[in-house]
Amino acid sequence: MLVVYEKMGPHRFIGHLDLQRAMQRALRRAGLPVRYSQGFNPHLLLSFAAPLSVGVQGAREVMELPLAREMEEQAFLDRLNAALPEGLKALAARALEEETPPAMARLQAARYTLKPEEGLEALGQALPGFLAQASIPFEKRGKAGVRQADLRPLIHDLQLHGGALHALLALSEQGSARPDQLLASLCEYAGIPRPRCLITRTALLDKRLLPLEQP
Amino acid sequence: MNQRLEALLETVQRPARYTGGEVNAVKKDWAGRTTFCFAFPDTYEVAMSHLGMKVLYEAVNREDDLLCERAMMPWVDMMAGLKEQGIPLFSLESHRPLRDFDAVGFTLQYEMSYTNILAMLDLGGIPLEGRQRPPEAPFVIAGGPCAFNPEPLAPIIDAFLLGDGETATLEMLRVIGQGRAAGLSREDILVNLAGVPGVYVPSLYEASYHEDGSLAAFTPLMPQAPLPIRKRLELDLDAAAFPQRTPLPFSEAVHDRIVLEIMRGCTRGCRFCQAGMLYRPVRERSPEKLLELAKGLFEATGYEEMSLSSLSTGDYSQLLGLIGSLNACFMDQRVSLSLPSLRIDNQLQEALVDTARVKKSGLTLAPEAGSQRLRDVINKGVTEEDLLRSVTEAFEQGWSSVKLYFMIGLPTETDEDLLGIADLARKVVACYYALPKEKRARGLKVVVSASTFVPKPFTPFQWAAQDSLDDIRRKQALLREALKIRGVTFNWHDPQTSFLEACFARGDRRLAKVLLRAYALGCLLDGWSEHFNYQAWLQAFRDTGLDPALYANRVRGKGELLPWELADIGVTRAFLWREHERALAGQVTPDCRLGCEGCGLRRFDGVCLP
Repeated sequence: MLVVYEKMGPHRFIGHLDLQRAMQRALRRAGLPVRYSQGFNPHLLLSFAAPLSVGVQGAREVMELPLAREMEEQAFLDRLNAALPEGLKALAARALEEETPPAMARLQAARYTLKPEEGLEALGQALPGFLAQASIPFEKRGKAGVRQADLRPLIHDLQLHGGALHALLALSEQGSARPDQLLASLCEYAGIPRPRCLITRTALLDKRLLPLEQP
Repeated sequence: MNQRLEALLETVQRPARYTGGEVNAVKKDWAGRTTFCFAFPDTYEVAMSHLGMKVLYEAVNREDDLLCERAMMPWVDMMAGLKEQGIPLFSLESHRPLRDFDAVGFTLQYEMSYTNILAMLDLGGIPLEGRQRPPEAPFVIAGGPCAFNPEPLAPIIDAFLLGDGETATLEMLRVIGQGRAAGLSREDILVNLAGVPGVYVPSLYEASYHEDGSLAAFTPLMPQAPLPIRKRLELDLDAAAFPQRTPLPFSEAVHDRIVLEIMRGCTRGCRFCQAGMLYRPVRERSPEKLLELAKGLFEATGYEEMSLSSLSTGDYSQLLGLIGSLNACFMDQRVSLSLPSLRIDNQLQEALVDTARVKKSGLTLAPEAGSQRLRDVINKGVTEEDLLRSVTEAFEQGWSSVKLYFMIGLPTETDEDLLGIADLARKVVACYYALPKEKRARGLKVVVSASTFVPKPFTPFQWAAQDSLDDIRRKQALLREALKIRGVTFNWHDPQTSFLEACFARGDRRLAKVLLRAYALGCLLDGWSEHFNYQAWLQAFRDTGLDPALYANRVRGKGELLPWELADIGVTRAFLWREHERALAGQVTPDCRLGCEGCGLRRFDGVCLP
């Protein structure tokens, strides 16, 4: 079963491991027919399309789990929601065909909305020049230390309207751009200090650039 | 959540500690209710592991006229942010400042959390000392094990509850709520609080001291102030409140699981153990009630692990039956039962291993002392034979990791007793190698931990001196040398924290000055070694003209009036003194289930063994 859920409001402060645990417990409270791994310390089988950074909201996040028996989507959704708090509700559920690759493997890109508290005008003016650059080098911090990377090819689309930045960024096993990095690079280009900014991931997309839950 | 707070949360570590809104958190309307904030003087992860908080949270919130919210000690980054932003410390539920509540209640689990209480009051906008609080300020109340020697906090806490809090907390809150509704003065409400059985209101008493620093007299200032104060008891645990819908922490707690309190009290009579004396008599919850509570808790939480809580789980009279029914009930839901290492003289251990779905963690044993002589002194009725048998059985069943807990600095301890610890460790290693290679699990790991003994009030060692820091360090060095054994790791801590713990555990009300001074000098989060500042504490003692050694390292005489004797815990001074003398003579006292030893509980409430 593929489940689309939100992680909004104060729930944006929950870390990924804590979210996993919260979802597993909600599934257990709901009494849904979940499956467990084999072994001495069995754990509930549940996987997430992509972890979300602490502080970033998710409007349509995706998790998947195998069920011990088939269940009608709406009934699944209703029971799960009865066990979930406001701000962490399940929005859709879809039974998957057996051979569907895991969401994590299908994932190619994500849409984000960034609402900076100030500096919107300066960012808007800088935007065309920023995107016209052939490359946007930045320092990427990873497990292997700091290395140079290029942000430009990972930005598929970036627009400013309605008081917010709307970005379509690569998010896959081959390469990902973080929205906070995008904001940092754009502010640097515009020559303004980085403003406080609420970031929301609004969609997780496959290679067709359609939401993962769409058949 | 307001904007300033959200902006602050974006900058601190683990922001989920401060957001609230957990599953099962209770948010009630404030109108017409007496409001109580349960304040835990340590971080969120520690607080959310604490069963007592969950018990009172639900007990209070079940009442229509009352409400209970929670607040914890913020970490240093959050503390700095709150100060900088001018945001007072707030409750997790309604995000209101502590100063807005009718009552704020601290649980006293550990002496080294006292500076955190001051920090939380300060951050919450409440004057540190009772006499400075304006009429509208919350009543600051406290309970928990350290409330049995409340004196070092006397000027800070308005009213202490000694003993079980399930019912008494409700009574205290109603006295406060009704007093406020009737327009009574703060002083009158305090007098009324003193009328609640088990409650000690320190401002209604006066202490005087001899020239040598010992307590001369302790006197009530008015007839309404009882002396001694009898501890509160919940005699029927099946009827006592127990949480069914515990708030589920988002940020993982230290112990994040279903906890079932199966029993309160202990009959073993270990002479170093304060809980064993404080929580008499033994009271059990019935297996039927526990099963019902466990089912409810699982449905409300979805937890994957369950543990049984008591001072001596192996002594619960229907343990095997209980474990069997819990396992049967939760097999399909994959709830594992984690059991503490049972006392090693208990035959149940063997039977339990056969029970399916008992989580196999490492074996932890607490012989406490290295020689039989010293184990007799402390009345820890465990022999070397018992211990080695348990260890061998554990190795046979596939364990390869054993933890052994000891104390150093116990009364009458000699170097010979200490070397006995190394001897025991060596014998445990030998038990492992005695098994044929194919029958034992790989990777032997024996961890020996030695903590510094802290003499506690209401124990037979309440008159004893704690070893000096130099003595303890010499003994630690001796053990470090003696424990250089392959497969054995030795854990020890610098004794400075234990020294201060010893001061406050048996302190009088003059120590509050030291506490206030230490806080002014920047001491807080003293239980976290990275924040513990010993030099500042010594400075605080110097500045207030008090000698810490007088509290920690002095032998008290039989006739000396002790500051904590304002409380009547049921166990009598005569019994404790008899046990003290038997200890020094190396005589053991059997478990009182085998025959009454006359500790005083029968006099106290006429109710003893179940």
